[in-house]
Amino acid sequence: MTENRTAASGPGETVPSPQKTWSDPPRVSLIRRLLSAKETGVFLALVVMCVFLSMSTESFLSTTNLLNVGRQVSLLGIMAIGMTFVLISGEIDLSVGSTYALAGLSTGMLIVLGWGLVPALAMGLACGAAIGLINGLLSTYGRLPSLIATLGMLSIVRGSALLLTDGRPVTVNVRNGADPAILDRFEYMGQGYLFGIIPMQLVFFIVLAILGWLLLSRTAFGFRVFAVGGSEKAARVSGIHVPTVKIWSFVIMGILAAAAGILSLAFLPSGQAGRTGLGLELDVIAAVVVGGASLAGGVGTILGTVFGVLIIGVLRNGLVLLGVSPFTQEVMIGLVIIVAVAIDKWSSTRRST
Amino acid sequence: MTEKSILELRNITRTFPGVTALDDVSASFRAGEIHAIIGENGAGKSTMMNILAGELLPDSGTLHVNGRETMIGSPRQSQALGIRIVFQELSLCQNLTVGENVLLGPMAAQPALSHLNRNSAVRAATDVLARLGMSDVRADTPLAGLSVAQKQLVEIARAISQQVHILVLDEPNSALSKRETQRLFDMVRSLKEEGVTILYVSHHLDEVLALADRISVMRDGKLITTLDNGPDVTVDKLVTLMVGRSVNAAEQYALQCEVSDHPAETALEVRDLSVPGHIRHASFKLSKGEILGIAGLPDSGKDVLAEAIFGLLPRGGEVEIGGIRLSPGKPYHSIAAGMSLIPADRRSAGALLSMSVAENTVSAALKKFTRLGFMRGRAVKDIANRYVRELDARVASLGQKIATLSGGNQQKIILARGLITGPRVLILHEPTRGIDVGAKAEIYAILKSLAADGMAIMMISSELPEVMLHSSRVLVMADRIVMGQLTGAQITEEAIMSLATRSDQERAA
Repeated sequence: MTENRTAASGPGETVPSPQKTWSDPPRVSLIRRLLSAKETGVFLALVVMCVFLSMSTESFLSTTNLLNVGRQVSLLGIMAIGMTFVLISGEIDLSVGSTYALAGLSTGMLIVLGWGLVPALAMGLACGAAIGLINGLLSTYGRLPSLIATLGMLSIVRGSALLLTDGRPVTVNVRNGADPAILDRFEYMGQGYLFGIIPMQLVFFIVLAILGWLLLSRTAFGFRVFAVGGSEKAARVSGIHVPTVKIWSFVIMGILAAAAGILSLAFLPSGQAGRTGLGLELDVIAAVVVGGASLAGGVGTILGTVFGVLIIGVLRNGLVLLGVSPFTQEVMIGLVIIVAVAIDKWSSTRRST
Repeated sequence: MTEKSILELRNITRTFPGVTALDDVSASFRAGEIHAIIGENGAGKSTMMNILAGELLPDSGTLHVNGRETMIGSPRQSQALGIRIVFQELSLCQNLTVGENVLLGPMAAQPALSHLNRNSAVRAATDVLARLGMSDVRADTPLAGLSVAQKQLVEIARAISQQVHILVLDEPNSALSKRETQRLFDMVRSLKEEGVTILYVSHHLDEVLALADRISVMRDGKLITTLDNGPDVTVDKLVTLMVGRSVNAAEQYALQCEVSDHPAETALEVRDLSVPGHIRHASFKLSKGEILGIAGLPDSGKDVLAEAIFGLLPRGGEVEIGGIRLSPGKPYHSIAAGMSLIPADRRSAGALLSMSVAENTVSAALKKFTRLGFMRGRAVKDIANRYVRELDARVASLGQKIATLSGGNQQKIILARGLITGPRVLILHEPTRGIDVGAKAEIYAILKSLAADGMAIMMISSELPEVMLHSSRVLVMADRIVMGQLTGAQITEEAIMSLATRSDQERAA
């Protein structure tokens, strides 16, 4: 290397020094790549938990239970996909629990009012998109830190849901005026099974996770999200319109939070503005961070997020199966969040030095 | 060379609250020329660059690109015009790979949902890196693992990766070794051959003279003059134009320390200092009243020396100050023992940017200026006032935010903070980086008088003249060890460079 450099360092010379061809970087073995992948740590933690639970309880490893865990984490997971985009872009969204409630309840009310399924769903999702848009505008052109902007929106949106429902529960059933045919299809989204075995919620989660993964890691938009989160200045200097990228991330988040809220109402099928999705934003952020995303922006993957969501889901399920009290469960989940992120942090500082 | 101007600024004025950063500036840049822009800090160079970058709009005046009046309202428009700017402060994405950083623009410019072809990007980036002599860096490795010098080259690689008509370089080689700088200059000259206009902003006047076709001098927001580079243009002449008064370069650098007459009483002793990956077994002594210069190329290990001695980095070996052994990892211990560090990176490690001049001054010795945890306003003001006067820092008031000061005045306040603890040993890392000529001379004078009062000073610097002219003794680091020591008349550029490159040559042989 040294010889190459000296050879071409004479003044005025522009002859490129002899280069190796780099066009085909040597293939790193699959195992090496798997071991060094960012998601490996979370994945191993998940495996350890699953192995432990399958040995210590009888029901954990049954297909029914596993699919049940899958269904339980689906709504959290759908929101976590959106949060991955927001966190990587260097922002945060605290309003998602409220969006979840408002979008779900308004869709339910529209169905009760006799709207068709598609218009009602469209309204619910549009409601989420609008909230995302406002979050995005406040955090970019409004120059507010997104922590503050979305904290305000958390309250505004929750309040709007209370005003809209007058604080009363919304129950979607025929007695309240829903069309039976529409109600059937609505409830199928939340309670149905694909091929009679896979819960529909899980199907939505899987499909959205795949779409999210493609968008984040395979498209120019995803690249922009990483660039903006890595260095806003570098992104700007490279001609990226930073506000647009951030606003779109918030809009994606808003739509996914709305989708999860709608599915939740389709599952239950009743909700109350004062309770639905309360504090959910923290679960979502925790799952994404456990999955390896950085609150500082620029770092994260959809696969990691999915593992993070599963860790929380499996943990909750396992603690129930083990008969741990709900109070202790909360403590355990908090501990796992701290330990998971600490391990990731410590191992990554070791990697970088 | 054609007379046709590719870029013209006509009567550009831009003000900030309280400052006129650009005052009716008109300038014309020709296609295919290397046009240097020089001036002291605060002269308006960076405002001008930011206007070209589309980050700032002028208050009045017009820009003309290829003879047509053009408004550059955003970085995108600037890019679209073929203007590329390499800022001195790195703007890279640490979370991406080298290749992705190089091709950030084109990769991000594709339609939102289009598929990213990472393999072809790696190949394209590799070609660009090769042009800069960086064939030892793989395009698909993470950027975070690179040295500062390599990152600076990546930044330049990004600028030239696309069609460029006007390339603006702001101190592009501040972290580069001589050899890398040479390579950069070759690249600049070959871009010029291709018809690219290069605006070269630098404090290094000798480089400017070697490289530029024309030189524009800025002072106090005005463009003073544009010279054709030729044998009659000298460093002295440029300095005079920049400062606005005649400063003889010899007089300016006449502050050179004579070898100290103090009996060599050891103030600091470093034995067997090691920092994994950076320094191996460095041992030396620092005496009262001497200014010890430390020179070396970027990867020599000199850049971690200050932090290792001060205790900010894990280290092996011993550091003793006045017979007290310092423990690593405890900078407060070092301060208590009488050591002060003026770090290299003013913005991130030196100044508390959001705080005032007075607060910055006393921040290293809060205990002295608080009673029951409350700041003693009077005492803080008195002491800050005293240092501002003694160091001749130009500040509007003690309450002024340090971020709004010029680099030279910031450095003086940081120096005040270092002195307020009453140190016996003062360690400075790049004491005058990014500071204009006038303030440099003042800082050297301060150091000299501190040394004359018996303080032991260690000055680690990448700028050879600084080390050569203001140290009584020079240690040269290379290949992670102290390669040699020079005193008095031995201190010449040739001697330092021959030590600094020694191990390299051995390895090449």
